[in-house]
Amino acid sequence: MTARGTSRPARPSQRTKHIATALVVLAVAWAVLTVDVRIERLPRLPGQLANIFSEMFLRPSPEWEYFGRAFGYMMESVQIAWLGTIIGAFLSLPLAFFGAKNITSPLVSNIIRQLLNAIRAIPEILVAVVVFIPMVGLGAYPGMLAIGVHSVGTLGKLAAEVIEGINPGPVEAARAAGGNPLQIQRWGVLPQVLPEIVAFWLYRFEINIRASAILGAVGAGGVGEALVQSLVYRRYERAGMLIIVIIVVTILIDTASGWLRRRIIEGGDRPSKASVSEQPELAELREESV
Amino acid sequence: MIRFTNASVVYPGGVHALKNVTLEIPDGQMMVIVGLSGAGKSTLIRAINGLVPLSDGDITIDDVSVRKAGPKKLREIRSKIGMIFQTFNLVNRTTVLNNVLMGRLHGAGTMRSVLGWYKAEDVEIAMQALERVGIVEKAYVRASNLSGGQQQRVGIARALAQQPKIILADEPVASLDPPTSHVVMRDLQRINRELNMTTIINLHFLDLAKVYGERIIGMRAGELVYDGTGAQADENVFRDIYGRSLTADDVMGEAAAAG
Amino acid sequence: MTAASAPPSARPRRPARSLAGPLALVAFAAITWWASSEEFGLGFDIPRLLTNLTRGAGILAEFWPPDFSVLPRTVGPMLETIQMAIIASLIGCLAALPIAFLASRVTSPNFATYLVDRSVLSVVRALPDVLYALIFVAALGIGPLPGILALILFNIAVVAKLLSETVDGVDAGPIEAARATGANRLLTVRWAVLPQVLPNYVAYSLYAFELNIRASAVLGIVGAGGIGNLINEFRRFFQYDALMVVVLEILVLVIIVEWISIWIRRRLV
Repeated sequence: MTARGTSRPARPSQRTKHIATALVVLAVAWAVLTVDVRIERLPRLPGQLANIFSEMFLRPSPEWEYFGRAFGYMMESVQIAWLGTIIGAFLSLPLAFFGAKNITSPLVSNIIRQLLNAIRAIPEILVAVVVFIPMVGLGAYPGMLAIGVHSVGTLGKLAAEVIEGINPGPVEAARAAGGNPLQIQRWGVLPQVLPEIVAFWLYRFEINIRASAILGAVGAGGVGEALVQSLVYRRYERAGMLIIVIIVVTILIDTASGWLRRRIIEGGDRPSKASVSEQPELAELREESV
Repeated sequence: MIRFTNASVVYPGGVHALKNVTLEIPDGQMMVIVGLSGAGKSTLIRAINGLVPLSDGDITIDDVSVRKAGPKKLREIRSKIGMIFQTFNLVNRTTVLNNVLMGRLHGAGTMRSVLGWYKAEDVEIAMQALERVGIVEKAYVRASNLSGGQQQRVGIARALAQQPKIILADEPVASLDPPTSHVVMRDLQRINRELNMTTIINLHFLDLAKVYGERIIGMRAGELVYDGTGAQADENVFRDIYGRSLTADDVMGEAAAAG
Repeated sequence: MTAASAPPSARPRRPARSLAGPLALVAFAAITWWASSEEFGLGFDIPRLLTNLTRGAGILAEFWPPDFSVLPRTVGPMLETIQMAIIASLIGCLAALPIAFLASRVTSPNFATYLVDRSVLSVVRALPDVLYALIFVAALGIGPLPGILALILFNIAVVAKLLSETVDGVDAGPIEAARATGANRLLTVRWAVLPQVLPNYVAYSLYAFELNIRASAVLGIVGAGGIGNLINEFRRFFQYDALMVVVLEILVLVIIVEWISIWIRRRLV
């Protein structure tokens, strides 16, 4: 028996998709055509880079003692990142609880989330430059504060999302047993969210190391300052050493922190949460209610 | 004694989950509630400890009104009511003992319970509860490492640790296999008899209800439609309660009378 | 087996407290002490922090009200910032595609390429984009070009790493099917792998774009084009109220970009 009479389906309309693509193409075209870039300089690039590269890393007799100083600068950046992350973690935790719509009302949590978004939107370097350096002067302090404040934004948002994603069962059990609000948070919510939140703190620390390295570029202490100096005064060899130190320390810390994060999450429940902490950037990508 | 007087619950969406229920439950009774999903069983049980607020009417426990109770009084009332859940509601990441100790939250004081430094007497009560359900050797095991039946027994122990006067069980065996379900139901029955604790259980397996229910209440669309003993409840009764003929899903089967 | 039929079990002994928790706390305290001590660290303590902050609070007053008269001056540089981000995202995300495939064990031709690619990506990600901007400025002089190049580099590193990790986790079935039809590696990647990772790729690209917007607003501070230049100028002359305008603009821009990105993600995926 042959199947007749089923006509081929029409191709589904892809209008919104086409419009979106068209807009994107337009935007790109505008950007490419109107940017004021002296593209003639581009061919020089490989040669110049090769020069700089060789001056950085291929000097015959390098200034070995500088390595010690470079390491010291890097340690300062690590310290800035460490204390900044702690400040951020501390301040963000209560805010995260208030920003979770299953803990407070939708209205309150929305306000807090918008506040956190606003904080997140401003890059640390801007916060440092604009707010803290004028306030407390140059040096490590404003860097640390800037990192702390910016971190409150991301950590708060991520923690609030984790809190919103909990299993309401244990919370109900704590309520049913007659626990007061604090006890309910402590035994119903916290055990579920703490490992993931701590993993986010560690991840933030990794990012903040990079941030604090940059902040030095505006005078906020750490290895960034030395880097800018060395590049501006064309002491490329020193810059090279600083770069090596930055790479090595950053990768070491990234590895240690990554290992620690995995251990913490594995100490928790099995489900796919593990993949979130492996790629915390994904958590930032999750849609938020705007 | 628990007394319902014209108790009604209307959910924010407009759903009339409980309609004018009037009921008296004497102390020490083992009562089973049956009905389709959405018939109001869950709502009725949660109205007793105030997890679901009443829209009308009242529920009193030993003449203390649940509806009029302020937050503090409500917590006190709840501390005397132990609740057991279909999904166990254990804190997976911590030990069995810590879960049972959640039953002592009200008695232990905020400071101690938040830090986890329970007094020796509270720990003793928790241990005894675990002994009563026969699972004390797992006291320091992580909750998520237990089987479903074991987890539910921890849930029962948690309720017992409150030293309650009433036990509420919302579909306690729906997530368990038949043999384990019988174990749990027998435990509940034993606790009801040995400790003379009022026990109210939601079940959707009718054969279980008949076996274990000293008294059976049938709910349909938020209303109380049946009130009688287990012996009186036969297929016709259940069909009335359900409003349709019974299917295989409504009975657990497999040696239902193995009690 | 109920308690009634089996002999009562002995209560278990409390297991030895695991060292992990206290050890972690000790490590944490030690590192914090080291970071904040006078001798080795930043010399940080709360009282000093508070005095600094209260003294500096007065400066904050100079930020408000914002001096909107500078708005026209900011338009050009802001547009440049946006242009830089768009171009860098385009080139960066496109380039990241092949690089990501080479960096995943699933799609990489041989182990050596995979290893080299993965390591290079790690290294490139370890360095801040501002550093690349500085180097490119040293090589090419100031202007938006070095900024764009720096962003491209960082962009590739971020997207390629994320994408390669996703590719690592693809379903092997379609790949096997493609090979069975005799397709070569390129075609296999195009038809068996790419469709699986496309939604993620779009998400990562949009994420990279958001990062680029934020970064390009800042790269100008080191001379690489965009609004950063103007920031420096305002700083130098202590025109804090003008600076506030720039900050507000950046804030608005970032939020708008986030909205657009969410909207696009919803439509396209």
